[in-house]
Amino acid sequence: MKASQGLAAALIAFVLTFSHSTFAVLVPAGIKLAAVQEITRQLPAEIESVDPAHIESWAANTVGLDIFEGLTRIDATGAIVPGVAQSWTRTGPDTWRFKLREDARWSDGRAVTADDFVYAWRRVVDPQTGSKYTILAEFVKNGKAIVAGRAAPAQLGVTAIDAHTLEVRTEAPAAFFPELAAMATMAPIPRHVVERERDGWTKAAHFVGNGAYLLADWQPNNRIVLLKNGRYWNASQVEIAKVTYVPIEDDTTALRMYEAGQFDYTYRIPSGLHGQVAQRYGNELRAGMQIATYYYSLDNRDPAFKDKRVRQALSMVLDRDLLTKRLLQAGEAPMYGLIAHGTKGASPFMPDWASWPMSKRVDYARELMRQAGYTDARPLTFTLTYNTNDLHKKVALFAMSEWRSKLGVQTKLENVEFKVLLRERHEGRIQASRDGWFVDYNDAMSYFDVLRCGSIQNDQHYCNPKVDEWVARANEQLDAAARTALLTRAHALAMEDYPMVPLFQYSADRLVKGYVGGYSPLNYVDQRASQDLYIVAH
Amino acid sequence: MFTYALRRMLWAMPTMLGVITACYLLLHATPGGPFDSEKQLSAATLANLDAKYHLSEPLWRQYLLYLNALIHGDLGASYRYVDWSVNDLVAKALPVSVGVGGASIPIALILGVSLGVAAAVRRDRWIDRFVMLLGNSGNVVPPFVLGPVLVWIFAIMLKTREGHGWLPAGGWGDGAWSHRLLPIALLVLINVSTIARVMRASMIDVLGSPFIRTARAKGLPPRIVVWRHALKPALMPVVSLLGAISISSITSAVVTESVFSLPGLGQLVVNGAINRDYTLVLGIVVLTTVAAVLFNLFVDLAYALLDPRIRY
Repeated sequence: MKASQGLAAALIAFVLTFSHSTFAVLVPAGIKLAAVQEITRQLPAEIESVDPAHIESWAANTVGLDIFEGLTRIDATGAIVPGVAQSWTRTGPDTWRFKLREDARWSDGRAVTADDFVYAWRRVVDPQTGSKYTILAEFVKNGKAIVAGRAAPAQLGVTAIDAHTLEVRTEAPAAFFPELAAMATMAPIPRHVVERERDGWTKAAHFVGNGAYLLADWQPNNRIVLLKNGRYWNASQVEIAKVTYVPIEDDTTALRMYEAGQFDYTYRIPSGLHGQVAQRYGNELRAGMQIATYYYSLDNRDPAFKDKRVRQALSMVLDRDLLTKRLLQAGEAPMYGLIAHGTKGASPFMPDWASWPMSKRVDYARELMRQAGYTDARPLTFTLTYNTNDLHKKVALFAMSEWRSKLGVQTKLENVEFKVLLRERHEGRIQASRDGWFVDYNDAMSYFDVLRCGSIQNDQHYCNPKVDEWVARANEQLDAAARTALLTRAHALAMEDYPMVPLFQYSADRLVKGYVGGYSPLNYVDQRASQDLYIVAH
Repeated sequence: MFTYALRRMLWAMPTMLGVITACYLLLHATPGGPFDSEKQLSAATLANLDAKYHLSEPLWRQYLLYLNALIHGDLGASYRYVDWSVNDLVAKALPVSVGVGGASIPIALILGVSLGVAAAVRRDRWIDRFVMLLGNSGNVVPPFVLGPVLVWIFAIMLKTREGHGWLPAGGWGDGAWSHRLLPIALLVLINVSTIARVMRASMIDVLGSPFIRTARAKGLPPRIVVWRHALKPALMPVVSLLGAISISSITSAVVTESVFSLPGLGQLVVNGAINRDYTLVLGIVVLTTVAAVLFNLFVDLAYALLDPRIRY
C-alpha cells in the first residue's frame, strides 16, 4: 500500500508535459539561399519499401521520414521534437498521452487524426501484414502477443481518445517512447487510401503521405524523387523543393559520382580512402559519429571462451588507438564497452586498464591467460569468422596479429558470405565473429537487447541476472538522472564480465557539398530529414 | 523452317523446367535465408513471414505453387522489395539491360567484323597488329578495370565549365544517352575484341579457299571478292558467337551494371542472390533461359540464310 502511494505521489510529481515550438529549417541570418532548392542524396541500397509497416533499413527509414511524420520527429541535431503531436505527457510509468496538432493534413487534404495512428500501429503488429520489423510496435502493450497470434490487433494498447488525442500504453515502462514514435515504422498511414488501393497504395500515382515531401517517382534501383508537400503543416519552413535519392551500393562508384557532380550528399567513404578524401575535399567531408558499435561476438558457452579471464585478456591486448587512428583512419573512436558515445540513457564504459601502458596491459593479460590454463606451450586456439568485406578483413588481420604477438593465441580466420555468417551465428555454430550493433532508437535500452539473458539478439549467450534486474529497476525510474545512473551501472557490470570484445564506434563521416546547409554533426542517429537542409546560393 | 522453330521451342520446355528446378533446389540449399538479418527476427515474426510467403509448406509444395504461378505468368512476390512484384521489378530492369546490351551488340558487330576483315586482308600490316593487340587486350583487361578507367577519363578528368563531368560516372537517371554512353562503350570494347579476332581468323581461312582463288582468277576486284564472296561464309563463326555474346551481355551485366550502378537485370540478380530473394533470382533465371533458347534458335535460323547447304 505504502509503495503504491509512493508511486502515485511520484507520478503526480512527475507528470511531464513536453511541448516545443519547432521549425524545420533554421537558416542563419545573412545566408542567401539559392534560387533552386534541389538536392541529390545517396542511399547505400535500394529501399525495401515506403510502407511504414515494412520499413526496416536505415535507407528506407530515411526516405520514410521525409514522406511520413510520426508523433515526434528527429531534428537536425538529433533531438526529438514535436511532429504530428504538438505536445505529450507521461501520465504514468507506462502511459503516454499525445495531443495531435489540428493543422496536420494528409497530402490529399484530409486531416491526420489519432485513428490513423491506431490503424497504422495495429497493422504493423497484425500477423497478416507479415511485417519484418515489429520490434518498435512491440513496445506498445500487447504488441508481442498480437505478433505471436495470441491476441487480436484491436487489443493493442493504443487508443484514440478523440480525433486529436492519442493514448498509448506500453508493455513495460519506456522512458524513451518519444524516440520510438519518431521512427518511420510508427508513422500514421492514410487508411482511406490503403483500403482503396491495397498493395498499390505505395506507388507514386496513388501515394498519400503526411510528411514534408510527396513521393513523385520511384524507379527501383534507380531513383526516388520527392517533391515538397504543400499541405504539410510546416511547409512554409521547408526550403528544399525536390529531393532525389539515388541508391548506389558501391561506395567507390558513389565517390566517383560525387566527383562528377552527381551527388550533393553521399553515404560512406570507401574503406581506405578516408585520408585521401579528407585532403581533397577539406570541409566537404563532414565529420560525425553514429551510435553504432563494432565488436567481436564471443560465444560465452564455447569451451574457449567460457572463462571470463580469457575474454578479458583478449580484450585487453587490442590496441584500439592503433586500430582506429593508424589502420582504419576513418574517424572511428576506440571503444571498451558496448554503449557508444552519444547514446541517451547511459554513459559509455571505460575500464581502468584502458589508460595503462600497453606493456602493463599485456603482462596482466598474459597472467590472466596463465591462470586460465593457457601458456605458450598450450596456446588458446579458436576460429574468428567474418563476412567478406575489406574493413572486416583488415580488422580481423589486426586482431589475429595482436592476439598472436601478445598472447600467443592461435586464431584461424574464416570469411564467409554475409547471410551465412548471420545464420551460423544465430544458430550458435560460430566461436567468435565480427558483429555490430546499430541502435534502433537513441536510448541505452536498444543496446541491452544484446546483453539481456535469453534475448534473441544475444549471440554471445551471455547471462547475468543482476544486469537484467538493474535494467528492470532503471526502467521503473521516472527520474531521468536516476535511470541513467542505473543503466550505466548495469552496462558497466555487464562489461566487467567481458561478454564480447568491443572495438570501435562507427563514424558517420559524409561527403556533403559546401552549399548544403543545415547539416549537423550532432545527429548521432544519422537520420537527417531533407526538410532540415537548405541550399545556399553558390 | 516454321515447323523446325516450333519443334525447337517445344524441346526447350524440358530444358527450361530442368533449369528452373535445378535453380530452385540450389537456391533453397544455399545457407542463410531471406529473413536472416543482423538483428534477428523473433520466432513469431518469422512464423508470420513464413506463412505469408508459404515457406512453412513442404518444399515440393512450394515448388508446385511456384510452377503454377509461373504458368500463369506470375513470377511471384519479392521477399525483399515488398512494394514490388518480381514481374514489376523485371519489367523495370529489362529495358535498361536491353537498352545497353541491345545497343552495344550491333555496334560491336559492325566494328568487330570491319576490323577483322581489315586485319585479314592486310595481314601482318599495322591494322592486323592493332586488331591482334585489341583482341588480346580485350581478353586480358577485365571490365571492372576498363569501366572505372572510362569513368575516370570521361566523368572525372574531363569536366564541363560548371565543374561537372562530361558524362555521368554512374546511375541511370531518366535513361538519357549521356547515362548510356559509357556502359555501351564498355560492352562494345569487351565484345569487339572477340568478334574481331574470330572474324580475322575466319576470313583468313575463307580467303584461302578454292572458290576465292577461282573468283580472283576470274579477275574480280579484291573488294568484290572480299565483301561479296568471302564475307558471307566467313561470318558463320561470328554468327555462332553472336548467340553466346547476346546471352553474355545479360550475364556480364552483373559486372557492367555494378561498375556503373545501372538498375538493370544484373544489379537485380546480384541483390536477389545476396538477399536470398528466391523468387527474384528465379524470375531472372527464367527470363535468361528463355532468352538463351531464343538467341540460339535465331542463330540456327541465321545459318540457313548464310549457308545454302543448310536447310530446316
